[in-house]
Amino acid sequence: MKKCIVTLLVLTLFLSGCWDRRELNELGIAMAIGIDKTENEYVISAQVVVPSEVSMKASTGRSAVTLYTATGETVYEAIRKMTKNAPRKMYPGHLQILVINEDLAKEGIAESLELLSRDWELRSDFYVVVAKDITATEVLNVTTPIENIPANKMFNSLKTSEKNWAGTEGVILDELVTNLISDGKEAVLTGIQVLGNKETGTSKQNVESITPSTRIEYDNLAVFKEDQLVGWLNEEESRGYSDITNTVKKTVTSITCPKEGKIIIDIFRYHSKIIGSINKGEPEVDIKIEAEGNIGEVLCSIDIMEPETIDKLEKIYEEEVKEIIHQTIESVQKQYQSDIFGFGEAIHRSNPKEWNEMKEHWDEKFSDLTVNVHIDMKIRRIGTVNNSFLKKIKD
Amino acid sequence: MGFFKKKVNTKVQSTPPSQTKENTSPNGLKTSLQDNIQFVKDSLGSSTDIVIREIRIGKGGSVKAGIFYTDGLSDTPSLQNFIMESLMLDIKGTPLEKKLTPEQNLLTALKDFAMTVGEIKDLTNFDDLFTSLLSGDAILLIDGYSEGLVIGNKHWVERGVTEPTSQTVVRGPREGFSENLRVNTALVRRKLKDPSLWMESKVIGTRTKTNVAIMYIHGIADDKIVDEVRLRLDRIDIDGILESGNIEGLIEDSTYSPFPTVFNTERPDTVAAALLEGRIAILVDGTPFVLLVPALFVQFFQSPEDYYVHTGIGSLIRLLRFLAYLIALLAPALFIAITTFHQTMLPPALLISLTAQREGVPFPAFIEAVIMEITFEILREAGVRMPRSIGSAMSIVGAFVIGTAAVEAGIVSAAMVIVVSITAISSFVSPTYNLAISARILRFGFMALAASFGLYGIAVGMVALILHLCSLRSFGVPYMSPLAPFNVSDQKDTLIVAPIWKMFTRPRLTNQTNKVRQQNPASAKPQPPKNED
Repeated sequence: MKKCIVTLLVLTLFLSGCWDRRELNELGIAMAIGIDKTENEYVISAQVVVPSEVSMKASTGRSAVTLYTATGETVYEAIRKMTKNAPRKMYPGHLQILVINEDLAKEGIAESLELLSRDWELRSDFYVVVAKDITATEVLNVTTPIENIPANKMFNSLKTSEKNWAGTEGVILDELVTNLISDGKEAVLTGIQVLGNKETGTSKQNVESITPSTRIEYDNLAVFKEDQLVGWLNEEESRGYSDITNTVKKTVTSITCPKEGKIIIDIFRYHSKIIGSINKGEPEVDIKIEAEGNIGEVLCSIDIMEPETIDKLEKIYEEEVKEIIHQTIESVQKQYQSDIFGFGEAIHRSNPKEWNEMKEHWDEKFSDLTVNVHIDMKIRRIGTVNNSFLKKIKD
Repeated sequence: MGFFKKKVNTKVQSTPPSQTKENTSPNGLKTSLQDNIQFVKDSLGSSTDIVIREIRIGKGGSVKAGIFYTDGLSDTPSLQNFIMESLMLDIKGTPLEKKLTPEQNLLTALKDFAMTVGEIKDLTNFDDLFTSLLSGDAILLIDGYSEGLVIGNKHWVERGVTEPTSQTVVRGPREGFSENLRVNTALVRRKLKDPSLWMESKVIGTRTKTNVAIMYIHGIADDKIVDEVRLRLDRIDIDGILESGNIEGLIEDSTYSPFPTVFNTERPDTVAAALLEGRIAILVDGTPFVLLVPALFVQFFQSPEDYYVHTGIGSLIRLLRFLAYLIALLAPALFIAITTFHQTMLPPALLISLTAQREGVPFPAFIEAVIMEITFEILREAGVRMPRSIGSAMSIVGAFVIGTAAVEAGIVSAAMVIVVSITAISSFVSPTYNLAISARILRFGFMALAASFGLYGIAVGMVALILHLCSLRSFGVPYMSPLAPFNVSDQKDTLIVAPIWKMFTRPRLTNQTNKVRQQNPASAKPQPPKNED
């Protein structure tokens, strides 16, 4: 009898079990989510995978993703409301990219991120980008070649461009939230744009031609102050930002030859470090950069077989990058007064006491902060030919 | 009415043996040969395979004698050549013939001078007579004596020593045990010519009278365990032992555990190796499966081939077996848990691909898995039981049903077929069949846990399983040793197989009286000859 009761009790455990069980074909896998805002309501659009269209075998030629939109006073409400027109409940666990409308970003993004950082189903390793001059829904509506799922295209192209080109930043949610709450560092996000005709981009025909008429492309960096978008950097400045914040992994930089023309340097190792200090009561920042690169392209008449030339080129690179960095910092200081580089954090690390005093009015201090840049660049290899054949043609 | 009749019938059938038992055991043999013959005939129901030959021996045929044997179990030609011929013909005109008069002690004389056979025993009661007679020995009774002789003359048609079918190796001896106990003991003796290899015999089974032999190396095997084995075997009171599995069921430590605590093998080299490690072998007549105790968990992952091949491949294969066991135990459960609870763990591309496969599958993953597992178990069981000639037809249908058709019909997803197949193949990796059974049983439990609680359920299940394994004992030895309790020196032959020159001590079971295998471990490592210039 006693055994019987124990067995029954153990069996009841199994009854309570399956409450959060979801079969794979009950999931609406949302790969990208876009947030727009009308007057006072959020418009959420979710790019949901149509699994049978993604797999090679069963595909019928229809679109690999579908877009569901819903409006609501809060983000959560809107996402739940989506079940009104979607057959499956949204599963955001594999979210790749979050697109935020530019206008919404100007108002402030904090509110819309709260749910996304709280919900346990979300992994916080998706990228956050800002849709420039366009709504997030429109961005998610564009079909893309190579990657069936546009969200994957957006994710992968941001990842590769961040690695091999400077000027874009793959900012994941965790990083963004950390920057939002940090005193000494403001956030940046990469912009995303739709080029071409927005109307034709939504159909599969878009990807049937060799050059799609509508394309998604990453743009430059958006500067935030607190959680509000305050402006955009241009391409040069975006790259300067990457140079300063040590997010460059590989890149190419063009420098001018001593006489005329250009030489392209292929940077394969790059390291920068921001060191804060207090000089005569005023904060000061040193940026130390070590870079190694190869000569990638020689478009001028120069004898690179001479060791002195190499030294000269290294000098030119150092000068020019220093110039870009100074310009970038100056423009951010003047235009936005937003410490996106994390100079405040550097001061905080080096002089915590002084930082506590000045952190209240850091924005003003930042505007006229002295920044010293030290660059040490080495050219390692010159490629598979010695002097360029261009030199012979010109001679 | 019919019920009554039946009852009477069974009663009638069961009475004669019990009566004979009551009559004979106190009495023993009678003096009159005629009475004895009559009694034997009555007791055996005049069975036609019992041959009773009455002869007259001695000078002038003054002595009446009877020879009893079972046709088919006895070696008839040798019986005629060495017993009847020597008694009836060769003896004529020899001095011995004169001795054979009823007045003298005939039996001793016969035994000492006339019986040209090796194995001979005295006989005083009918119990022994029947046991010997039905085991194939010949019985010689002399009129006027309440004693007789058992003449060892067993011989019957048997399967020879063939390659073992259940435990095969690529490199290693190809001989396997057969159904004959004597052949089996001989196979072990051939491997271990050690005077300390001791053997004890027992007869178990009140009706089958099955011969059982205990073999161990005196001085290496722990006396306590040997005593325990003896005790447990003596405790057996059953009418029939038909296979060593019956003995195993009667002496093992925990019957309800899915894990075997008695090892069985068909291979003499495995038995010899186990004896050298201090284990005890139980050989049962009538089966090629020899039992080895104490049996440890890791022992079931050890194949004799591990020690015959290079240490590297031996170790890797040993690790592979543990991995395969885990796969056989957990693969479907993990698949269910991850796809129904923890989709976040899957990479996006895999998730989408799995989802695409599941589109249109009507059952939850758990039901799907159970269907496939049961289908496979049915196929496996049918494969073992069915007549050989149907085999190929079966395998085609099986492969087709399980593999292609089920997926194309949309009843199960292709991924599930892959998981079930991997599980099935993994369960065959185990070198011993009966450990794989535990994975087969427990797998379903883990699947249920995974379907109800996800990975949490599997983790809880694993903890419970490990607790259970650690609580098991095999003849007093912790089942999980040398992992728990941990023993450093025995790790050489647990998860990996160390080179043979490194294994200079025996594994620690309970005693450590004689632990050294290689006297000089330092010189055991092979070395190139030193250059003496």
